[in-house]
Amino acid sequence: MRSHHHHLHPTGLYDPQYEHDSCGVGFVANIDGTPSHDIIIDGLTILKNLVHRGAVGGDLKTGDGAGLLFQIPHALFERTCAKQGITLPVPGTYGVGFLFLPQQQDERQDIERRITALITEQSGTVLGWRDVPVMPDCLGDMARATMPCLRQIFISVAGHAGDTLERTLYLMRKSIERYAIENQIPLDSFSIPSFSARTITYKGMLDGPALHRFYQDLSDPLCTSALAVIHQRYSTNTFPSWPLAQPFRYIAHNGEINTLRGNINKMRAREATLASPLFGDDLKKLFPIIMPGGSDSAMFDNVLELLVAGGRSLEHALMMMIPEAFGPAYHISTDKRAFYEYHAAIMEPWDGPAAVAFTDGRKVGAMLDRNGLRPARYYITRRGKIVMASEVGVLDIDPIEILEKGRLAPGKMLLVDTEKKRVLKDNEIKALVARHKPYRHWLEQNKIELKGLLQVQSPHAQGAPELLMQHLKAFGYTFEEIDKVILPTVINAQEPVSSMGNDEALAVLSERPRLLYDYFKQLFAQVTNPPIDPYRESLVMSLMSFTGRERNLLDETPEHCRQLKLSHPILSNDDMAKLRSVNIPDYRIVEIPILFPRTSDREGLQKALDDLCHCVAAAICDGASLVIMTDRGICPDRAGIPALLALSCVHQYLVRTGKRHLAGIIMETGEARDVMHIATLIGFGANGVNPYLVFELIAHLKNQGRLPATLTVEAAFENYITALKKGILKIMSKMGIATIRSYRGAQLFEAIGLDSSLIETYFCGTPSRIGGIGLSEIATETLLRYERAFDPAARPDGEPLPSGGSIHYRKNSERHVLTPEAIVSVQRAVREGSYEHYRRFADTINNHSRNLCTLRGLFTFKPQNPVPLDEVEPVESIVKRFVVSAMSFGSISKEAHETIAIAMNRLGAASNSGEGGEDEIRYLPLPNGDSAMSKIKQVASGRFGVTSNYLVHASELQIKMAQGAKPGEGGQLPGHKVSDIIARVRHATPGVMLISPPPHHDIYSIEDLAQLIFDLKNANPEARVSVKLVSEIGVGTVAAGVAKAKADMVLISGHDGGTGASPLSSIKYAGSPWEIGLAETQQTLLCNRLRDKIRVQVDGQLKTGRDIVVAALLGAEEFGFGTMALVSLGCVMMRKCHLDACPVGIATQDPELRKRFRGAPEHLINYMLFVAREVREIMASLGFRTMDDMIGRADVLDTNDALRHWKARGLDFSRLFAMPPVTEGTARRCTTPQQQALADVLDHDIIAKARTALEQQAPVELSMCIRNRNRSVGAMLSAEVSKRYGAQGLPDHTIHCRFYGSAGQSFGAFLARGITFELEGDANDYLGKGLSGGRIIVYPPKKSLFRAENNIITGNVALYGATSGEVFLNGQAGERFCVRNSGALAVVEGVGDHGCEYMTGGRVIVLGNTGVNFAAGMSGGIAYVLDMNQLFDTRCNLEMVDLEPVSIAEEQRFLYATIQRHHRYTGSKYAEAILRDWDELLPYFVRVIPIDYRKALKRIEAETKLPEHTVVTEEVY
Amino acid sequence: MGKLKGFLEYRRVDPPYRPRDERIRDYREVTTRLSEEALMQQAARCMDCGVPFCHALGCPLGNVIPEWNDLLYLGRVDEAYERLALTNNFPEITGRICPAPCEAACTLSINDSPVTIRQIEFAISEAAFARNLVRPQFASTPSGKRVAVVGSGPAGLAAAQQLARYGHDVVVMEKAHQPGGLLRYGIPNFKLEKWVLDRRIAQMTDEGVRFETNVQVGEDISARFLCRTFDAVVLACGAEVPRDLVVPGRELSGIHYAMDFLAHSNRVLQGEIVANADLNAAGKIVLVIGGGDTGADCVGTAIRQGARQITQIEILPMPRQWNKSENPDWPYWPNILRTSSSHQEGCERLWSITTKKFEGNNGKVTGARVARVTWQHTAGTRSFQEVPESEFTIPADLIIIAAGFTGITRGKLIQDLGVETTASGTIAVDATYKTSVPGIFAAGDAVLGPSLVVRAIAQGRETAQALHTFLRSGNSLKANCQR
Repeated sequence: MRSHHHHLHPTGLYDPQYEHDSCGVGFVANIDGTPSHDIIIDGLTILKNLVHRGAVGGDLKTGDGAGLLFQIPHALFERTCAKQGITLPVPGTYGVGFLFLPQQQDERQDIERRITALITEQSGTVLGWRDVPVMPDCLGDMARATMPCLRQIFISVAGHAGDTLERTLYLMRKSIERYAIENQIPLDSFSIPSFSARTITYKGMLDGPALHRFYQDLSDPLCTSALAVIHQRYSTNTFPSWPLAQPFRYIAHNGEINTLRGNINKMRAREATLASPLFGDDLKKLFPIIMPGGSDSAMFDNVLELLVAGGRSLEHALMMMIPEAFGPAYHISTDKRAFYEYHAAIMEPWDGPAAVAFTDGRKVGAMLDRNGLRPARYYITRRGKIVMASEVGVLDIDPIEILEKGRLAPGKMLLVDTEKKRVLKDNEIKALVARHKPYRHWLEQNKIELKGLLQVQSPHAQGAPELLMQHLKAFGYTFEEIDKVILPTVINAQEPVSSMGNDEALAVLSERPRLLYDYFKQLFAQVTNPPIDPYRESLVMSLMSFTGRERNLLDETPEHCRQLKLSHPILSNDDMAKLRSVNIPDYRIVEIPILFPRTSDREGLQKALDDLCHCVAAAICDGASLVIMTDRGICPDRAGIPALLALSCVHQYLVRTGKRHLAGIIMETGEARDVMHIATLIGFGANGVNPYLVFELIAHLKNQGRLPATLTVEAAFENYITALKKGILKIMSKMGIATIRSYRGAQLFEAIGLDSSLIETYFCGTPSRIGGIGLSEIATETLLRYERAFDPAARPDGEPLPSGGSIHYRKNSERHVLTPEAIVSVQRAVREGSYEHYRRFADTINNHSRNLCTLRGLFTFKPQNPVPLDEVEPVESIVKRFVVSAMSFGSISKEAHETIAIAMNRLGAASNSGEGGEDEIRYLPLPNGDSAMSKIKQVASGRFGVTSNYLVHASELQIKMAQGAKPGEGGQLPGHKVSDIIARVRHATPGVMLISPPPHHDIYSIEDLAQLIFDLKNANPEARVSVKLVSEIGVGTVAAGVAKAKADMVLISGHDGGTGASPLSSIKYAGSPWEIGLAETQQTLLCNRLRDKIRVQVDGQLKTGRDIVVAALLGAEEFGFGTMALVSLGCVMMRKCHLDACPVGIATQDPELRKRFRGAPEHLINYMLFVAREVREIMASLGFRTMDDMIGRADVLDTNDALRHWKARGLDFSRLFAMPPVTEGTARRCTTPQQQALADVLDHDIIAKARTALEQQAPVELSMCIRNRNRSVGAMLSAEVSKRYGAQGLPDHTIHCRFYGSAGQSFGAFLARGITFELEGDANDYLGKGLSGGRIIVYPPKKSLFRAENNIITGNVALYGATSGEVFLNGQAGERFCVRNSGALAVVEGVGDHGCEYMTGGRVIVLGNTGVNFAAGMSGGIAYVLDMNQLFDTRCNLEMVDLEPVSIAEEQRFLYATIQRHHRYTGSKYAEAILRDWDELLPYFVRVIPIDYRKALKRIEAETKLPEHTVVTEEVY
Repeated sequence: MGKLKGFLEYRRVDPPYRPRDERIRDYREVTTRLSEEALMQQAARCMDCGVPFCHALGCPLGNVIPEWNDLLYLGRVDEAYERLALTNNFPEITGRICPAPCEAACTLSINDSPVTIRQIEFAISEAAFARNLVRPQFASTPSGKRVAVVGSGPAGLAAAQQLARYGHDVVVMEKAHQPGGLLRYGIPNFKLEKWVLDRRIAQMTDEGVRFETNVQVGEDISARFLCRTFDAVVLACGAEVPRDLVVPGRELSGIHYAMDFLAHSNRVLQGEIVANADLNAAGKIVLVIGGGDTGADCVGTAIRQGARQITQIEILPMPRQWNKSENPDWPYWPNILRTSSSHQEGCERLWSITTKKFEGNNGKVTGARVARVTWQHTAGTRSFQEVPESEFTIPADLIIIAAGFTGITRGKLIQDLGVETTASGTIAVDATYKTSVPGIFAAGDAVLGPSLVVRAIAQGRETAQALHTFLRSGNSLKANCQR
């Protein structure tokens, strides 16, 4: 959730609009609709028990927000109003408005007068005003200081009741809000939490427990309701913001709408054609539909309200806004699919992870988005109460009372209709809505499909090769691009992979003309919402869209879907020919060129753009349904307007003029060719793209014989399109976006180096924080390319294309930070121990007049009074702030990895294990006293080798949220690269592919991150916990969230770093420079009073002491080196890491190449000491005696005017150098360690009681109560075991703990061998996370009456990253059961979607149904599924696995014995029945075995080892 | 990159020289050629480096070596030539005589043996000629500007070709009988046969370059005429003043500068003149003073002329002997003992020898009195000291001084044009090769001092580029002079 409030104006780089929050949600209701005070009390209790999902601010008291939405408590109001002499009419005939008014009396009275007037104008009667009784004492200082005046207003409208009254109240509220907008009254001064005759919202800037005390009404027994929706907020910011607290008028939202910008623009355009008989002319009073300044959730609420007020049911409206996935992988009815498809032509999804609880006062319900990444568990009781919340155990309910325990599955809805007195499940709700109109017929008769269009001939018409050459040059193609991008893409049907990051000059600093796309960087999700795996979870994603004329949103007609259906947004040249040649009734296609005269300057381009906008608008007014914007007509006199500029300019113009939805736009451009180009065009609003020139080029390459003989030109086109589709899915998935419909126009990019007025005019809403080039430079860049293409001095037969130099270094081409000279000097320096040579290196890098590549190159230091060098902190202490950034063993060789560790340990600094685990032998000191242990242990999404023992051998645990080279993406190590040693360290099977998922499956939100930090703190209380983020807009607010989640350090990585292999477009186009991200982080932490609580580290192409000083001044305390560590050990920037061909033995596992490694610890030590020496010299010149003095002193930085070249002239770093004011004595660096709430973890008690077991291995049995607030139970206990006994643990059953109740999250996390946890009750998410040999047994309370096998006993993501141990669950588990399990055994009686995802080892027995996408990415281990209804194969992802019967006797015995144990441990009646009918049931068991794994097992059986020389370099998709 | 890990699969193979006894009997090129298949394997060794040091630090031309290595490996000779010709005007020449600093900088030189870049370059360029790919290139539209290039060595030729391709009307003026300068008169045939040069001159003539030979600019054509006639001038007249050895007995006959000796040999072979016995080594005892490449060329030439015995001396100490194929000074040119084909043909080499005086009889030289020296390194400079009582005499009846060059000939041309010169005797230019006189540019050894052919070509190209920009901006030497 992002907020758009205005109480804080952006200072420096901190912009409140990037704040995120996330939360606990839930509802409680009496199904029969009987109002009771209990419901209110239950709601408040739930809030109290979810308090750990919220957070508190810098004053450690102000909660981030909490609230309750329930039915109007008529009895309460009747009594209190009567006391004031107000007589309320019968319930349902009057409305209550809850208002947050200014404290300032005259301001308030002004508004109140105006409100009264507006209500009266609309025939309403103000019955009276009431001051809401509150107890401000329970507020935090910050909340109290900003507390609004809380008042309620009572209104009646003569003759109005029910829906009519609700609509009138809606109109009244919108008029009042419009008054506020027009008079620029900020949301923080005045807002309306609720305004209804049915519901009311009590909310505030406080936490759950305080809400109860604050609003006295809530304690009044007369305060009754049949339902209550609750919300507990966790926000990245700490500023109190009352209006941002939830619930809103209809919903409480736990999630984040990633596509908001697109959704807002689309709604804005649609306003022009809204019409409804229910409102008639009054409709205009509703504008703007979306109240500016609200959060994404508030805006969602605005639109939902419109749809409901416009006549759709609440369920219908929600199905439009958060449609479930309806791709072919889902078995849903044709009518339902048709419903969703029809609505795809009407509204795009509001995409992002979401758990929404909603109510209109009569119905209450909840739903999850298609990914279902937020938990939603419910209980239904025998007495007719339903409780739904993010966790179980939030209300104490006698087990005997429970009728059903369930969860919401992805995309599913649950509804309580208090009028019908029933609970409606998903199928019933949706069947009713989907058949409400004949959507299927409408669709069949109206939609237009390309493949249905007449076949016309248009063989890829070939122009003269000279012409092709000219066009290629005009659009800036290079030899390198064809050789290294286009050809591999076409041949392999996927974008190429590269390595060693990106050290090319930023586009705005380049001397050469760059394409406009280069100025944009992709945004990606980190922490606050998860990226999606576009490969293994492609079923939730969709590239399908409709394009054409959209109609009135408030109506439904067959014509609404008279649009062109595109199965994906790439149009081939054939497709374009078809579109041009056919005549579709009611669908006019117009073609408009995007050209400007070659002789133009800035004005010429601007005029061309203005003309273009008018031309398109006129065509649309003329009835065009589809506009093709084309640059096919380029010639020596007319250049193409950069396609992105033309498109965005037109798109935004049409949005502003309310016409955008009336026609589709297809970009026909020779400029676009790679994935980023296409994604940017779509992201800024194009409906489809035809990159015609690349198709022509492919045909040319085919003619030239550059393509394999077996690849036909048609297949080459197909491959290219396939690669683009994959790439677009990946770019969308990085942001957690599932559908192209919502990605389109969502503008999920950040501009680096574009002038603000250019942005405002043509790319409005896109962040661009350092200014940069404008229209005239864009015109110059375009024309420079043109001059080269159409040069009269050029050979008539065409000059060859220029070399390029963007990826590989080329002289006289693009600059790179690391020049060849620099590599040579630094290697000589470290080998010879020569500071002189180091200076030569540093001077080459720091010489920005010759080699300006980075933003810091434009910085200078303001002159200061120097201090003598000998007064400056010594090199030995400076160097302790240095670390070598994470590089996994696997991505680099054993020799290189260990050399780095030894060197850093000798310096007293630290190296990082990377994500591949670590060989335990390295925990022992070497004979000469050296240590090859990495002090920093990384915890990444793959969790390879993350065991209790791994975690205790660390002084820092680092959670890698993203990496600079490919933020938001996962990776994979192909099976043939998993050698014996790699397999051992990663707890995997040799020869079996290993996949790192894009998200951490236990971090879908900020509160999840807090939970993982808590887990790790428990797993090793001595280690500090850090979180690695990648710089992008908003990283500062994420860092603030990380600080509030109590991490000890946050690492800001630049976009350009990255030593591993990554897709080229990710290396080049994702993330932003660390200078911006670091400055934003520093400023945001200071603004939020969090800076003193957390350390900040930075990395990303840090090379010299000057870089370090710049980073320190911008706020970093610690500094990471990746590339330079390798270069000092001999790396020569081959960029072959992904090919295992490293000629200096670093990024390779090839024994032949490893022999060539010549690095020594001394080399790295020398480098680090030299850097520190340079730092020290600069410090002396700047007058800093200690590093601490220097941190955050951005005021010392200045801009180097002398260096400004034609593009960099427009850059403005004032926001980067801003220093937020802090109160006297407040540090700009970390001074106080985080206060971890470890004191009251249950483990202290267990450890105390199990002391004899821990010390003498004597068996101990314990029992205790547990509840949802007891989280990560077992992690600290396991640490005690691992510290003493290592990975081996204790003998089986040494410590046996019995628990009663609902266990909190991460129950049994990293549980070590020898510990058994037995739980009678149920558990929340992440049960058995990282299980390290322990045993977990869970069964329902003995006295409960429901059938255990049909009910949910544990939440999502159980056994994530488990390496060994056993789990027995007498009931069903949620989504992603056993995700990334690599060795544990688990028995469960049913699982949700994505079961056994990415599993690489272990055994899983599912004695019941599974959800969809079972075994996706499962490369190892075996699952046995009892498939009674024989539909399992339709729900299993068969890409990597085979399904077989269990035919081997040995396995049958194993299965029987394990189920027997399951029965013995859990008392499962279901297991008992299975065992009883064993012979009949055995044939129903399906054995799920990964194909590679089977091969690997056979090989192991035959004891043929993998050849030693298998390649083991990290690769990506 | 055509073949991943090709460098692990194939070892470096250098083509052998022709057998000694065969090759010293003629003046044909000494090297042999690799087979097509062997060449492709050699090309497969290229790793297509992320930072190609060969291209970046090795080759002064910035040849895009990885690009054409790969194309040759793929058998795409046409495109390979296209990429090669992009940066190098005369690859058939550098492919024969370049010392290949690119190979010293090859990444494989770190711990393996470098790719045979020069062989590959040679093969691509000869294949291109064989396939008739080396066709004249013209600009789409002539510029109507006239440019004079003074000197037809590698710098002048490169500048002339580039300028012609930009569409300018180019006249190359050469004082010698035929164009080519050092390429023609300095380099012996056994390294570069002259038909190679003729073929290139012919191609340039087709491109519209006019060659005026036997013209001494400044004498035959006045500087004033040059300035009034041309829109710009490139001075590429080389660094022709040899460094002398001023010791007693220098006046004796039988002592010659290396370049006189080599030019004589070349001119005789081309039939320009008849042999002068004084400059011929036949039957003589030869002493070459100077251990560099020019000295080696003199050794090879003397052998072919039939010298009885040859000694080559050098004042510097013997460089370290380095038998490994990796470069100890990677990526820079290593200072190691190099043995050329000429040395192998029969020659005694002495190091750390200083020449005290020449001894003679009847005005004819009979030998050189020399002494041994030792070298000291102090604070970045080195100096030598004579070893006491180490003098001895090397008998010789032909002594060739190959001690390098000191600068340009400061003749009438330079004086009349009024271009400024540097302390070291070269023409002073700015970063864009402009001399002190607007419209007059300079390139090659005339600017650099004595250097490699490949550097001269690079300068010629860069000068042409700068000059083209000068003309495109509407400037003109002619116009300046007329004003």
